[in-house]
Amino acid sequence: MSATNQTPLLEVEDLRVRFHLRRGIVDAVRGVSFTLGRERLGIVGESGSGKSQTGRAILGLTPPPGEVTACTMRFAGVDLLTASKRELRRLRGDRMTMVMQDPKYSLNPVMTVGRQMVEACRAHSSLTRAEALEKSAAMLADVKISNPQRVMGLYPHELSGGMGQRVMIAMMLITSPDLLIADEPTSALDVTTQLEVLRILDELVAGRGMGLIFVSHDLELVASFCDRVLVMYAGKVVETLKASELRSAQHPYTRGLMGCIPRLERSVHPLPVLNRDPAWAE
Amino acid sequence: MTAPFLAIRNLTVVFGKGADRFVAAEDVSFEIAPGESLGLVGESGSGKSTVLRAITGLNPVTHGTIELDGRPVPTPRDLPFYRTVQMVFQDPYGSLHPRHTVDQILSEPLAIHGIRDTSDRIVSALAEVGLGPGFRFRYPHQLSGGQRQRVAIARALILRPKLLLLDEPTSALDASVQAEILNLLENLRREHGLTYLLVSHDLAVVAHLCERMIVMRHGQIVERMTAEAVRRGEVHHEYTKLMLEAEKGFSRAQPR
Repeated sequence: MSATNQTPLLEVEDLRVRFHLRRGIVDAVRGVSFTLGRERLGIVGESGSGKSQTGRAILGLTPPPGEVTACTMRFAGVDLLTASKRELRRLRGDRMTMVMQDPKYSLNPVMTVGRQMVEACRAHSSLTRAEALEKSAAMLADVKISNPQRVMGLYPHELSGGMGQRVMIAMMLITSPDLLIADEPTSALDVTTQLEVLRILDELVAGRGMGLIFVSHDLELVASFCDRVLVMYAGKVVETLKASELRSAQHPYTRGLMGCIPRLERSVHPLPVLNRDPAWAE
Repeated sequence: MTAPFLAIRNLTVVFGKGADRFVAAEDVSFEIAPGESLGLVGESGSGKSTVLRAITGLNPVTHGTIELDGRPVPTPRDLPFYRTVQMVFQDPYGSLHPRHTVDQILSEPLAIHGIRDTSDRIVSALAEVGLGPGFRFRYPHQLSGGQRQRVAIARALILRPKLLLLDEPTSALDASVQAEILNLLENLRREHGLTYLLVSHDLAVVAHLCERMIVMRHGQIVERMTAEAVRRGEVHHEYTKLMLEAEKGFSRAQPR
């Protein structure tokens, strides 16, 4: 599968994440390869398929005792495998960032929104406090927060889920990154709020020409949002497809995953269940 | 018309006093016929779980009445009530005691209700939810999410209740496991003639399992409809339309 752009933003080849645990070795990611241009790539799979660990490994956020190996892991020409900690720190939060699932746990609970945003902003630039404040307010307005000044004075617990996630997105995009990894960014939100947040994310990603990796368990949602989808099973990519071709997916796992979701358009009783073939994990 | 099995009339649940006063559910009324399955839909904070918890006595009833099989339910709820009404919670990771084996988990309701033939009941309850006897002496951490939810369902069914209150029973599970649990719930309902009251934020899940549904928002009922009507897209309230739209997934088609 060739990338749509000439120079890929991110190249990953044979990525493996392995955990040495007391109960033995767990291979969470087993040889994932892909390239990403300035496009929206979805990574889909069930819990335990390694989709989140793939996203984390790219940012170097694999929790100990995890061990990451790869043939290639290159971001905008920088080799992430050999880069110094200092170089990585400069890239992370600046040129590549991540939005996690639940704003309740990813924002600092004892800092106001304004202070956290200014901190994120000044960690990667030489802006003064006043400039950073101004930039934060503008960024909050970009994520459709109607009264940025008021929201900047609030603590995370005073925000609703949708609002918190918008703050999170604003904070992650304030440094104008080239790559955003969003790990289930809307799964903790109500369906109606979910679409609002996605619409904002979509506008920002398209408007800034960023690369996006969207990690989710929701195949349909990812297909409606992304350009391309990787389907993961047991730490491997079992199928890569264009989002528009999801309906004609070939792999039995992808098809099974699509078939077992109850839908309003059709009433199927009983629902088809997924019969897992051990060969899929081979 | 058959007499309703469960009748909720003008149920209001208020938490706190003075400035902290919060009306979680207001003037909620509905009925469920024996053997019927009703869904409560809404987003977080809409009051759907509050209603469910008020029925079981986990939340106070500030105003209104709850009648089961024609009689008002006593407060606190008594043993016969819990023999008739059981609940399955959302999170199978949080609702099972981590240091009790499946055997202990399932024998507790039997002990409380003074039922003797513990062993037979446990084995048959496990079989009903599709778990072999091999699961009997395992701990919750040795089970997958779907297996845990099966144990939670077995615990609810072991007293042979007539009404099952299901609070988001599949939202913590993967899609493929959700399908298995939904099929199980459907089979159990058919075999035992159970009545279901299902709470969920997922319209499609509710439409799959229930014949009728009620949409709640800000503690109030905003629309009542049949699953068939929802499938045909015949909904009237603005909010229900929004939910139905959201169900279809993301679209960039706004300008078009």
